[in-house]
Amino acid sequence: MKAPKPTSEKTPAGEKPAGGAPASGGRAGRRLVPGSSFSIMHSSLVARLIRAAFGSTALVALLILALITIFLFREGLPFFRDSRNDLVLYRRAGLEYVDILRRAETEHAALVRELFDIRLRAFQHFTDDARLPVADANARLSAFDDFAVRFGDAIGPVRELVSDIGETAVAIKTRAALRHDKAVQRRQLLDAGKTTEAGRIKIEPVDFQAEIKPVLDTLPACRDALRATGDELGAILSASGNTGLPPALASGRMENFQARVRAFIAKLPAIENELAGWRADAPVPWHASARAFFTGREWTTASFWQDWYGILPLLSGSLLASLIALAIAVPLGVGAAIYISQVASPREQRLVKPAIEFISALPSVVLGFFGIAVLGELLRSLSQTSWFAWLPGFPIIERLNALTAGCLLALISIPTIFTLAEDALTNVPRALREASFALGASRLQTTLRIITPAALSGIISAVLLGFGRVIGETMVVLLCAGNRIAIPDFSAGPAVVTQPVHTMTGIIAQEMGEVVHGGIHYRALFVVGMVLFVLSLLINYTAQKILLRHRLPAS
Amino acid sequence: MNFHQQNNTRRRREAAVFGLLRASTYLVLLCGALVVGTIVFKGAPVLFKAEFPFINIAFFTEAPETLHVFEHDGKKLELGDRDYRAFMENLAAPSASQPAVAPRSEHAYVYSVGGIFPCIVGTLLLVAGSMTLALFLGVCSAIYLNEYARQNTVTRLIRLAVLNLAGVPSIVFGLFGFGLFVIFLGWNVSLMAGWFTLAFMVLPVVITASEEALKSVPRGYREASLALGATRWQTIRKSVLPYALPGILTSSILGIARVAGETAPIMFTAAYVVRDQLPWQVAKLTDFFFQGVMALPYHIYVVSSKIPQNEYTERVQYGSTLVFLLLVALIAAASILLRNRLRKKHSW
Repeated sequence: MKAPKPTSEKTPAGEKPAGGAPASGGRAGRRLVPGSSFSIMHSSLVARLIRAAFGSTALVALLILALITIFLFREGLPFFRDSRNDLVLYRRAGLEYVDILRRAETEHAALVRELFDIRLRAFQHFTDDARLPVADANARLSAFDDFAVRFGDAIGPVRELVSDIGETAVAIKTRAALRHDKAVQRRQLLDAGKTTEAGRIKIEPVDFQAEIKPVLDTLPACRDALRATGDELGAILSASGNTGLPPALASGRMENFQARVRAFIAKLPAIENELAGWRADAPVPWHASARAFFTGREWTTASFWQDWYGILPLLSGSLLASLIALAIAVPLGVGAAIYISQVASPREQRLVKPAIEFISALPSVVLGFFGIAVLGELLRSLSQTSWFAWLPGFPIIERLNALTAGCLLALISIPTIFTLAEDALTNVPRALREASFALGASRLQTTLRIITPAALSGIISAVLLGFGRVIGETMVVLLCAGNRIAIPDFSAGPAVVTQPVHTMTGIIAQEMGEVVHGGIHYRALFVVGMVLFVLSLLINYTAQKILLRHRLPAS
Repeated sequence: MNFHQQNNTRRRREAAVFGLLRASTYLVLLCGALVVGTIVFKGAPVLFKAEFPFINIAFFTEAPETLHVFEHDGKKLELGDRDYRAFMENLAAPSASQPAVAPRSEHAYVYSVGGIFPCIVGTLLLVAGSMTLALFLGVCSAIYLNEYARQNTVTRLIRLAVLNLAGVPSIVFGLFGFGLFVIFLGWNVSLMAGWFTLAFMVLPVVITASEEALKSVPRGYREASLALGATRWQTIRKSVLPYALPGILTSSILGIARVAGETAPIMFTAAYVVRDQLPWQVAKLTDFFFQGVMALPYHIYVVSSKIPQNEYTERVQYGSTLVFLLLVALIAAASILLRNRLRKKHSW
């Protein structure tokens, strides 16, 4: 719509008479100002200067894009170096070793949670369905409780080892970090030219080989502990006869649970082997930090153990909220665009178009506030009524979740989608419409089968730009998405939309104010910004490409 | 008859589909109206009152204060920070008539009483500075692109850059401004950093708008001026810009709304959660440019996320939001008025 105009307009009139080149001002001056050669030179120079001044401001746009790129990368890229150093330390200090062992503990804990859940269900069954008094219900479950307690204690040896070795490993890490700090301090003093002060700082080298030895020496103990746990669990399983559970639970979830325990026992030797094969001095590949960032499932900061910067929880949160928004905004926005451009009377058009543009002027922080103050509670109370109980994920537990944010994001993206799609639909050549009517098609047929397909590329690029608008939106998701840093549980099916999420834009806004400048966390946030930047450029580029490639010839 | 029936069902289907499309259009408008309506409905009682002078002047002219809610002597009291301190001093002073009774069930809510004057001032300063910058840079770029430059690789690159800049998320501009202005240039959290960050953010909007406006000035104006012997610059200054200005302003209104409304770019570049001095209370002139300010959108973010929702905090939340909406509307209205005056002066 815009691009062909300048070419057709510029070439004949805008450029030719002036000659376009810097000489043009001079030539005009020579002809019209019959002064000395100095004034001719002078006016030519002025014209040239003016032109150069305008030209340089025009370059500002390019410059900004370049500066954004430079500064994002300048602050962000060292993250990968720092993060790799961090991963090296993670390995050298033996934290990785402990985490391998800890996996057994974590999985066991998940099994214990399942046991608690089964007990809760059984208790509910006894009190609600069988109408037993609480004391009786507890008495019925006493055999199960014994089983659960014994099951929970089985991990004891492993847990003790994890906490013991963990302390050793953290101590090694702390010493290394201290040494690093001192080295930094000395370098700063040296840079400032204070050699005597710098010489006073003693840096004791950390001998990782010697330090890690106590950790490695625990291998037999680990082996024994894992085996003891496995044997104990096996014994518990074979000893558990009648646990007193209601038959439905006993045959269903309990059997399922027992299968899971057997799988867990079978996995223990693998952990043992991994421990035995672990080397503290194994090299960390150069791409380890990039892999940890782009495939990391955890974003854990300021932890005493080990910080993880994995983008997946944030990326998936951003995508989930955006997809919810698009699922609402695309039908509404495109529907409204079709209606306004094809069906509505001119009067209705004049009323509706500015109103929708007005929505686009609503500041996002206002919408975010509306979400916190009104919409979150409104959706939750709606979800608790019996009318909507059949919907997946209802009733909603958390007031602020991906759905709340998605609804508001939809309102933000509708004006974008509407305006661009309406433009595309209006620009479909009249001839197509007239030809369709002439062939006897109805208004509906013309609209849906002729006009809309003809404008499809414009509509698709409108949707893409709406997507770009939504994924870059900060305040609404920061205020309304719930800010829980975890990958949404997609196994819940469509109910996943009611889970709280955290987003890429939200994490930058939330944590940027609290981080140490130049620290690894600070740099991680810049890398998230880089990802957002690249993503927005990609979306924009694709939208432009689609628009240009499938442009209809103008009528 | 068969044909008639067919025609009937067809018509009914058409009516149904068009009705659905119409419903979706009005649903969107309804949602927008719901948001604005709720804020106006709940915010208006904070801003306006029934008796003279009808406007809650304190809310517009005072700084935010902490609200103390407590019970004393069987009465429920709500006092702002200053009143509260005076009250407590009074209480501590020994008095014969009344034994000292400690206040009970005390709650404090930050920013919940007083006004939002510093925030309004800060937002106005941010908008004015950044729009001046953006309009200057944007109009000059557009003049170059539309009046001087030929279609070549450089202009194509510039146009591409403008298109892509328009899609960059505002938080990325915030990060960039933080990295460049706040850290690298050492401006700290300051008006200057905020101005540049915001100006760069709206630059694409302004450039596109100005180019459209320049394009819409009839070619004959330029040709006539050039034919009379004016130089290119004279032509632009006297016979192109005055006629393009209303158009430039119209489309820049959107940019102004965006500058005033964005929170993410100023979060780490210009905005303070709270600041006691007003912007003009500075020791020397240069300090003015390198001070952080309170800004209305950031204040709304703070009061809606950092303090609990209840009857006491609701006032400042809805009140500030409504003032913010009104302010954005006011700025937009002012530019529309300006445009109309200009248009009357230079019409063709």
